[in-house]
Amino acid sequence: MERSKQSSHYKDKAFKRSTWLLLFLICLLGVLVMVSLASGYMALTPTEIWLTVTGAGTASHELLLYQFRLPRIVLAVLVGTGMATAGAIFQGVTQNGLADPGIIGIHSGSGFFAVLYLYLLTLNQDQPPVWLNAGLPFAAFIGGISAAVLIYVLAWKEGVTPIRLILVGIGVNAGFSAALLLVQLRMSESDFNRALIWLSGSIWNASWAAVLRLLPWILIFIPLSLYKARVLSVMQLGEEMAVGLGTAIEKERIKLLTIGVALSAASVSAAGGIAFVGLIAPHLARRLVGGKFQRLIPVSAVTGAILIVLSDTLARTILAPSEIPVGLIVSVIGAPYFIYLLITIKD
Amino acid sequence: MKKLALGTLSLTLLLAACGNNEEDTELDPADGTDEATEEVQESEGPRVLTDGLGNEVEIPEDPEAVLASYLEDYLTALDITPVAQWSINDGEGVQSYLQDDLADVQTIPYDLPYESVMSVEPDLILVRDQIEQDMVDQYNLIAPTYVMNASPTSWRETMREIGTVLDREDEAASVIESYDARAEETASLVQETAEGESAAAIWMIDTSLFVVHPERSSGSVLYGDAGFDIPDVVDQLSDDADWAAVSLEELAEMDVDHLFLISDAESELMEDRLWQNIPAVENDNVYTFDSQSAWLYYGPIANEQVLEHIDSSLQQ
Repeated sequence: MERSKQSSHYKDKAFKRSTWLLLFLICLLGVLVMVSLASGYMALTPTEIWLTVTGAGTASHELLLYQFRLPRIVLAVLVGTGMATAGAIFQGVTQNGLADPGIIGIHSGSGFFAVLYLYLLTLNQDQPPVWLNAGLPFAAFIGGISAAVLIYVLAWKEGVTPIRLILVGIGVNAGFSAALLLVQLRMSESDFNRALIWLSGSIWNASWAAVLRLLPWILIFIPLSLYKARVLSVMQLGEEMAVGLGTAIEKERIKLLTIGVALSAASVSAAGGIAFVGLIAPHLARRLVGGKFQRLIPVSAVTGAILIVLSDTLARTILAPSEIPVGLIVSVIGAPYFIYLLITIKD
Repeated sequence: MKKLALGTLSLTLLLAACGNNEEDTELDPADGTDEATEEVQESEGPRVLTDGLGNEVEIPEDPEAVLASYLEDYLTALDITPVAQWSINDGEGVQSYLQDDLADVQTIPYDLPYESVMSVEPDLILVRDQIEQDMVDQYNLIAPTYVMNASPTSWRETMREIGTVLDREDEAASVIESYDARAEETASLVQETAEGESAAAIWMIDTSLFVVHPERSSGSVLYGDAGFDIPDVVDQLSDDADWAAVSLEELAEMDVDHLFLISDAESELMEDRLWQNIPAVENDNVYTFDSQSAWLYYGPIANEQVLEHIDSSLQQ
């Protein structure tokens, strides 16, 4: 009796703490969004931004903020959210701290199908169909699912051990990357350049249209993953315990992986294969709020958004007016972190 | 027969590479001109043209600030100063051969970031390559954006189309005419001094060699206008690239009489026996130009400079 009271008291405290933390992170994201809005090739003073936001700015400032910078920032937030949540789900399901959809081949599977889709549909056609871009996330989703199934089948040996899954995943990643390159080489020069974003990750040509293509996926699958967070937490207790608690473990695994693939594939279709977000964000989140997925998922989602908005702001200011693909900036931050994790992770 | 087959093949490739819309609209220049004149006569309102993506683009009357990245050559030929010029490496790299005319024109990154485009305040944007509709929609928020129908590899078509878009068909036609007249001079010089002799333009980067496509860039000038013979190897190598990679062995096999070498530095390749045995090298008929010169580009001005280079090389 005494104990359970104590633990519920502790729970309240932890819950409170993580809620405050989440609020703080959201505020931080808000500040970053402001900074990002204000930075770019065309200089804007805070006064000018204020005037524009309150509707008293010039038409050209309005165009700059609302049509060029804002969709890009919103896209960065959505992509960061999607990729980080997908990462948290993958890490939870595989119980493997290194499982990032970008590392185990989900991204390159999605990218490969997206490029193949564009290549086949624009080949021998006067005008590409109007729904061409709208179909892109679906093509990416099919690619992501194929990659996931392939990894699962290849890694299956009376169950799937975490390390086997990663090794197979890295192999699948290499395979899809090679296939992607093969398709790209058969494209004309301008199509090749267009497809290049699936290799490096870039959102520089973001528009509201691109935001609208991604938004439904995020709006459907983020709440779903929050709803499923409890199951993920139960899974962490180990397979036997989870089954004992009444979880249909294989079924749930498949559902969760589908959600994860949907989130990562839709993000990839919008921004290309940005690796490491799905790795870093959940890790940082775990340090901040612990391993409970009800708290971990929202915190990693916001962390992922912060990461991409920050990287994108850097991507377009470091060498302005030229742009660096945002994926490269994330990799510069992410790769050392990945190595650090590899060195320190316990077997 | 073989040449015809190759010609058809490369035309097919060209069409495949550049979308099919040009087939019915722009390949017949007379057609395009007729259409445009009709429109002008019919109405005093803004002209509406169909661009390479199939969009109807309303062309402003007398645009003053035209942005036409990597099409500056054509604009300059029409005496129009573009509002900004193509550049790479943050403005470090520009089309040097045009700088007599474009020295005062500000630079814009080659990938045309939205904010850079916005900052130069264009009132008409011409886009050379087929880009995504999404991007065109964004550029359209800044200024009417017209994606070219003409293949970038055909400078005459490009010239005519730009003439049509900017309502300067006659000027565009006379640019082509006077170029052709100028090319005649070089052609007769080639006939006098190098009749039946072959030539090749080779771009050398360190130890890598590239040979120009016989119908593109300076290749169209060298063979189509000046009338040099095309070495068999050049014909065989030509794929869908302006410059095709070529090995030293293949170059030696060309037995080429005149070598136009685009290179910025001496290369160890030149020490090679294979190199030394090329007829052009043996007879001292190698003419070197730097990689900033007009040889790597497209357009009436680039081509005329190439003609001048050929003239002065032969008169050496």
